[in-house]
This record gives sequence, C-alpha cells and structure tokens, in this order.
Amino acid sequence: MDLFLVSLLNGVLYGAFLLLTSLGVSLVFGLGRVVNFAHGALFALGGYALVAVMKAAGAPFWVALIVGPLLVVPVAIVIERATIYPIRHRPEIYTLLVTFGLTFILVGGIEMIWGSGTTLVTSPTALSGSVNILGAPYPIYRLFAAGVSLLVSAGVFAFILLTPIGLQIRAVTDDAEMAEALGVKTRWLLTMVFGAAAGLAGFAGALGAPIFAVNPEMGSGILIDSFLAVILGGLGNLPGSALGALVVALTKSVGGSFIAEWSIALLFLVVALALIFRPTGLFGRGRVA
Amino acid sequence: MRIPRSTRIVLAALATSIGAIAPVAAQESVKIGVLTIRSGPASPVGDDLVAGIETAARMYGPVLGRPIELVIEDSLWNPQQAVSKATKLVQQNKVAAILGTSTIETLALSPMADRLNVPIITSNSGGSAITRQNCSKWIFRTNPDDHMSLAALKHLIDQNPKLKNAKWFVMGHDYPYARIVTGSVKGVAGANYVGETYAPMDTTDWAPFIARARASGATAVMMAVTLGTPFLQFAQQAHDFGLMKDVAFVAPLGLPDWLVAKLGPLSTNIISAGSWGAWRYEDQEPVTKAFNEQFHKMHGRVAGMQSVQVGSAAMMLFTAITKAGSTEPAAVVRALETVDVRTPIGPLKFQPGGRQALSPLFLGPYEEVKPPKYGAQYAQRVVEAFPAAKSLPESAEQTGCKLAK
Repeated sequence: MDLFLVSLLNGVLYGAFLLLTSLGVSLVFGLGRVVNFAHGALFALGGYALVAVMKAAGAPFWVALIVGPLLVVPVAIVIERATIYPIRHRPEIYTLLVTFGLTFILVGGIEMIWGSGTTLVTSPTALSGSVNILGAPYPIYRLFAAGVSLLVSAGVFAFILLTPIGLQIRAVTDDAEMAEALGVKTRWLLTMVFGAAAGLAGFAGALGAPIFAVNPEMGSGILIDSFLAVILGGLGNLPGSALGALVVALTKSVGGSFIAEWSIALLFLVVALALIFRPTGLFGRGRVA
Repeated sequence: MRIPRSTRIVLAALATSIGAIAPVAAQESVKIGVLTIRSGPASPVGDDLVAGIETAARMYGPVLGRPIELVIEDSLWNPQQAVSKATKLVQQNKVAAILGTSTIETLALSPMADRLNVPIITSNSGGSAITRQNCSKWIFRTNPDDHMSLAALKHLIDQNPKLKNAKWFVMGHDYPYARIVTGSVKGVAGANYVGETYAPMDTTDWAPFIARARASGATAVMMAVTLGTPFLQFAQQAHDFGLMKDVAFVAPLGLPDWLVAKLGPLSTNIISAGSWGAWRYEDQEPVTKAFNEQFHKMHGRVAGMQSVQVGSAAMMLFTAITKAGSTEPAAVVRALETVDVRTPIGPLKFQPGGRQALSPLFLGPYEEVKPPKYGAQYAQRVVEAFPAAKSLPESAEQTGCKLAK
C-alpha cells in the first residue's frame, strides 16, 4: 500500500513538472498549428543556460533559475522568425519537419559549445536534504520543483484567461482567420507565444537540472511525455493538457513501480485507447490534426 | 669510359628518386586502426580508449624500427558504421590490426573477421560469446568477459559479511546484461534476494524504481544501469531519496574514472564488484605506475578504467608484432597466442587455445584520494586483484571456444 501511495506522490509531482513543458507545446500548436519538436532541445538549452549563468557569472542558483530561461526566449524568437515564420501558411508537415531539424541543430550547437558530457547540478542548500513522507525520505527539492511548476502553470492559465493578450490567444486558437479579420496580429502573436513557450521549456529545464542532470539529450524524454500529454488532453486544449500531463505521469510512476518492464507499453496503451475513444481529447474540445 | 650525357641524366634522375624514396621507406609507419565512439554522449569512453592507446604507443616506442601511426575512426557505436569503418581501415589505410572496439563494434565485426583478415584486439567488450562459443581466429580480448566479472561479483559477496547477509535488490535497465547480473546475485549461495526492477532504457526519472527498491526492504542494491548519463541520473536521484545512505551500492563492472570524477563524493557510497582496470593498482605494479605517469603527462588527467585496459591490449599487440618480425596478419596472430607481457593491469597472456586474456579484476570501494593524484579526487582503492585463474576455466575448450587447428 505504501508503495502505491509513494507512486501516486511521485506521479503527481512529475505531472506538475510535465505540465510546465506540455503547456508550451499545446500553446504553440493551438495558436499556429506548429508541432514543435524543438521544444525538448529548448528544455535542454534552459538547463545549460542555468549552468552557464552559475559558472560564468558566478550567480547563485536562484538568480540563474530566473536569468537562464530568459536567455532562451530571444534565441527562440530568432529561430521562429528565421525558420517558422516564412513557412507559416504551408501545410503543418513543413513546420513539423523544420522543428524536427531544429532539434538536431540546437543539440549539435549545445554539444559544440558545452560538450557532450553530463553535468550534475546540486540543489541549493536551503532545499537539499529530505523530509519524511509515508515513512520514507523524500527530496525537498522535488516538492519545491513541483510547487513552482504548479504556480507558474497557474500564472500561465491566469494570463490566458484574464488578459487582453490572452483573449487574443484564445481567439486565434479558436479561429485564426476570423481573429485576423477582426484585427488580431496573428503572426506577431505566434512569434511572442513561441518565445514564451520556449521560456517555459527553458524554465522547466533549469528547474529540472538538479533532478535530471544537464546533458544535450535531456529534452528528448520530456518531449515525448509532453506530446503524449497534449495528445491525451486534445491538441491545443490547455486544461486538457494539464489533465493529460497528470495521466501520463501517474501511468509512468505507478507502472514503473509495479510493472517496470511494461510501463512504457502501458503508457502507450492508455494513449491509444484515449485516441480511439476520445480522439478530440479527454475534455473533447481538442483538434484532430 | 665516357658516359653519354643522356645516360648521366637518367642515372642522376634515378639517384635522386632513390634518395627521395629511401628515407620514406625507412620511416614507413606501422599503422594501427582504432575503431571507437568519437561523438555523442558516450564519447568520453572513446576519449579514454584513444588516449590509452596513444600512451601505450609512446611508452612502447617504434615497432620493428618504424613509428606507430594510429588511424582513428568513429564507429558511432553503430554496427553498420563499425563494419564500414573497419573495412575502410583495412582496405584503404592498410592497418596491421584494429584496437579500441567495444561490444557493439566487436559483435558487428565478428561475422566478417575472416574477410578483414587482420587481428582485432578488443578491450572493452563484455559479451562472453565473443571469445567463448563464437570465438574467431582473429578476435582477441584483453578485458574480462561478463562471466569472469560475475565470478568476481560472487567472490565479493562471499567475502564480505555485510554483503553476504544483505537483502539484495537488482536495479537495472531493461536489457540482457541486467538479467545476467540478477542471475549471478541469485546464484550466490545463501544470498537473501528480495527483488529486482528493470527500468526502460530511456528512463530519466528513477523515482518509481527507487520506491520499489525501498519497499522491498533491500539493504544492498546491485546497479546494472548503463554507464554514462543514465548512471549519473540514477546515482544522484538515489542519493536525493536517501537510498545511498541506507543501502550498500555495488557496481558490477566498476566505474570509468571520468564518471567517478563527475559523481564526486557520491562515488564513495559505491563498491566495485570487479573493474577491468584500476590506476591505483600502481601501488603493486610498476608498469601501471609508468603508464599512469605517461598518461598524465600526455593527457593531463588520470588514466581511466578503459584507458588502462586498452593500454594493456596495445602493449600486447606491439609485443606480438615485434615477436612476429612483421605485420603479416597470420604471423601476428600466432605471436599473440604466445606473448606474455607486463602491462598496466599486470602480467598478461591469452588463454591457451583461446582468445581471452587471463585478465585479473580489481575489487574495492571508491574513496577520496588524499592528496589528489593525477588530477583524481576520487578513485577505486584496489583491495584485491581477483585473478583469471578463479574466474576462467583452464582451457578454452571448456568455455566453448573451438578454434580450427
């Protein structure tokens, strides 16, 4: 029973973290129909930015956690303007292939600059150590990372629901042509949202650095999980992505604890069943693209 | 006698060309192919292998009075690429032998070894079949195979009361080697085995598997996790969850020193069940010390497990070529069968009638090195060198290796 409860806890905490990366994927798809395969590489870039700020500038973890991801935003905006913007109105397969190629370019760039090795990042002293939960030590930093992820995600939801720009994002997500006809600058909006989504991915990468270690490939696993979460939730549906992230994380966690060798198969089975019975997402409001 | 002018010109031209060729012929190098990974996350392994061969080449000096030239190719740890690059090394570069291969390359080259027609000496391949049931005239191995490593593991558990009485749990990746390790732990008489879990190969979050180990009540965990980034992630997370404080961690194959350097203090929680090479064997073996010093001079870092091992393979090869008196492949193979060389892992020769070197394994914990040496702050202490006599049957035939006479 304890193992089951610990697995649930692990799943909820990983789900909170996964939510952060899934939101970016969902936002970019919802707004521009861009399947952003480079999201994982931007996640890794966030981890490296954190380490670079800490080492090069001698900044403490907390400062690097804020500054590092901000450095990812202009990189993403330049990428969007140079590669996605010119082919925006072509079929979705074009942007998919471009972002797929961008992944290799970004990971290759990371390897050229920082090498292909792995860097262990220790959590800040205030958050190192563990607390006793369900009779076993649990790392404080994981609890912190999950809490921050939830707070930031809540902030994103609030921004989308309560601000004029959020209103424009929702309008374009619902019907881009109509929104454009009503004066919404969709191209500018997508550039900004792409940058913001990259910032979220970078922040997740920086936040996850003390847990997952920084390495060029660190984004590949989280990218797959994020896509699965977005597919489960319904493409472009933000609340659906949140629920999808939780389902993916819980399936991996409980599956990993009880049927480790079959946990990946179980995860894809869940997604396959969801696609068969709820092709527009768990809330039934996503797109079938 | 008067020599016609035209003849004098021809003679002068001949003399000039002979003069130009002669020094080249004298300097013609002995080319050795190095096939290993040179890019991607596992490239530190290739770095250590190349550096070890370079060090051995510098220590040994010219072979047959000719300089040693290394021709290095990136295998990408991909079987097709390995085959293609090995073919290029032999046909285009005319190498006398191939060094540096790991299991992936060795298994890929095994079916085509007869066609390559050069000796291949692997020093980083665990798969037992390579020199047992699938042994080939051309493929030699200096590192201990998986079965030898597991014999050392059994010995370690038998000798250590804390491990002998522990509740054992195997935490590994979902791949065949982890299951072999599990079989070995289960095979130790009297060992209390409480469970196992095999994580998918792309696992980055080890929390569910750590929870499983803790729930089993394990007091010793055998880590059959692939070395490199996954191992670092696992070790860090096991530490964060407090598991490393409560449980003895055993690495079945030892840890490369670049990994130990990254683990830092975390490495002191780990016991090696039998590493393929350990630079601190220099306390007992002068050749190891000479190798370490040369390595540090050339590369500015400590010689890792794979460097020490491949350095030993290179020294055996250079000695065999010298003994053969040529780089003619069959002659080098015959010489390899009988050479007996002092190497950085101790005196080494191949099993009679077989292709497996009688390599020792090095048992001992990882600890802080005070003061740091060769740049290493943490390293394995060699408590015991476990000889091949205890891990390998006397004759090659007993291992399943039947070479044509």
